[in-house]
Amino acid sequence: MGRGDWEQSVVENRKPHVTFRGLTHEYGNGDARVTALTDIDLEIYEGEFVSIIGPSGCGKTTLLRIVGDLLTPTHGTVRIDHATPYEARHQRLFGAVFQDAALLPWRTAAENVSLSFELNRDADGDDKNRDVDELLDTVGLGGFHDSYPYQLSGGMKQRVALARALAARPRILLMDEPFGSLDEITRPDMGYELLRIWEGRPTTVLFVTHSIVEAVMLSDRVIVLSPRPGEIVDVVDIELSRPRLQFIEESQEFADYTALMRGLLKGARREPLAV
Amino acid sequence: MSLLQSKPAQNDTMPVGGSSPQSRHFANLSRFARRGFFPIITLAAVGALWEVIVRVSGVAEYLVPTPSAVWSRLTGDLGYFLFHGLITLYESLGGFAMGTVVAVVAAGVMAHSRLLERTVYPIALLIKVTPIVAIAPLFVIWFGFGSFPKMMIAALITFFPVMVNTFIGLRSVNPTTMDFFRLLDAGQAHVLFKLRVPSALPYLFAAFRIAVPLSVIGAVVGEWFTGDRGLGSVIIVAHHNIDMPTLFSAIAVLACIGLGLTGITALIERRVLFWHDSQQSGPGL
Repeated sequence: MGRGDWEQSVVENRKPHVTFRGLTHEYGNGDARVTALTDIDLEIYEGEFVSIIGPSGCGKTTLLRIVGDLLTPTHGTVRIDHATPYEARHQRLFGAVFQDAALLPWRTAAENVSLSFELNRDADGDDKNRDVDELLDTVGLGGFHDSYPYQLSGGMKQRVALARALAARPRILLMDEPFGSLDEITRPDMGYELLRIWEGRPTTVLFVTHSIVEAVMLSDRVIVLSPRPGEIVDVVDIELSRPRLQFIEESQEFADYTALMRGLLKGARREPLAV
Repeated sequence: MSLLQSKPAQNDTMPVGGSSPQSRHFANLSRFARRGFFPIITLAAVGALWEVIVRVSGVAEYLVPTPSAVWSRLTGDLGYFLFHGLITLYESLGGFAMGTVVAVVAAGVMAHSRLLERTVYPIALLIKVTPIVAIAPLFVIWFGFGSFPKMMIAALITFFPVMVNTFIGLRSVNPTTMDFFRLLDAGQAHVLFKLRVPSALPYLFAAFRIAVPLSVIGAVVGEWFTGDRGLGSVIIVAHHNIDMPTLFSAIAVLACIGLGLTGITALIERRVLFWHDSQQSGPGL
């Protein structure tokens, strides 16, 4: 999947937003040491939608946690516009949606969204309520402002989590299998909603998934990782036009991408270690 | 573009539990009434059987009184039992409140620092394993004859379950939610009051279910050692006089106090923890 010259120049003119240099992470010490990620070198550009795909245990989540300063890597560096993850976190550049919606169960949908404002010490009081209403409408939860999480379905909880993440006005949105616990019917709908919302906002998205279809459907580029230790197998540019409309999964082009990806993931699978 | 702006899919818009906390609250009350029906019938049947057996066998009243004798003693001198009952209630609640405040502060301190945890916890454990009945006479000597020593005993017996549960609760925060707070660079105070404290509430109420009846025990034990006021002293005096109807009446009032306090705790729990998994089904008592 070589890039065309045109694509090449566009990519080169874009500003790198997140830069990984020789990133390696090991868990534990001594005999119990497990290498989760090895030697990741990568640039992610401003406003890009990048998916990280790979089998379970390839260090996808580790990568995301390192960017968000929830984990300190054992070797190598990550820079977000020259800032360390620690500095970026203090500059409040991040928003996040995890597989577990992790809403506060004692708060309504609206109160969960406004949590992002409350945690931000310099948020302006007046804007809050209007923004909360707008965000909930954006994620399609117009009538559910006063519903508690126990009254919402899994998909709706993820919508609240997305609105909550957007409320922080993030420059980088970290998404760790956000739709991983949703059923096959809800999942693509959530994907299209996410695209619609993202297309209106200048946000870089790092999206961890183990769904090939989801990665192709959403991304500008897909980073394919190998299992244990996680290494970059290939970086695939998805040159499907945007905005991506529903039923794009049915096209031949789409099928070619998924086939390519399946091949890459299969090739990356290693023989089980004889112990 | 209109396709993309469509509202959430059908399967996504149905709320799981549509009822408001209030309507569920009333449903709970009526369920409580229905659930109370069979135990009350059974209790009445046992009482009737007891009455018949005592009357037929002619057992002396100083051994086993008839329920009717207990009833007439209780209703005949209701003011007396109410007075002493209210004193015991006052001492229980006062002790419970004191014990809870100290326990929550201690748990907060322990959750804050490992060193303090290692210091405070063994001392708390020592207090817990020491029989309360052994400490009670000491408190009476130290704190005199008023309500205060009884409250101290009730506080002491309340302390441990509340402290341990609050401590566990403050520590048992959903790790993903914690990640979210960290990622948004939330301050210590926000993490404590917006996350840890509400997360600890279900644990706190679980402790209250244990500690509320315990505080009544504490108050009664305290009253045994100073025969001035309260149902504990009524029991001791009735025991010395072999006055069985009075003894049983005091026991009945204590049972009612315990039941009432437990019921009130459960009702408050339902109000406060309506969002918690434990409240989505099942009984409250």
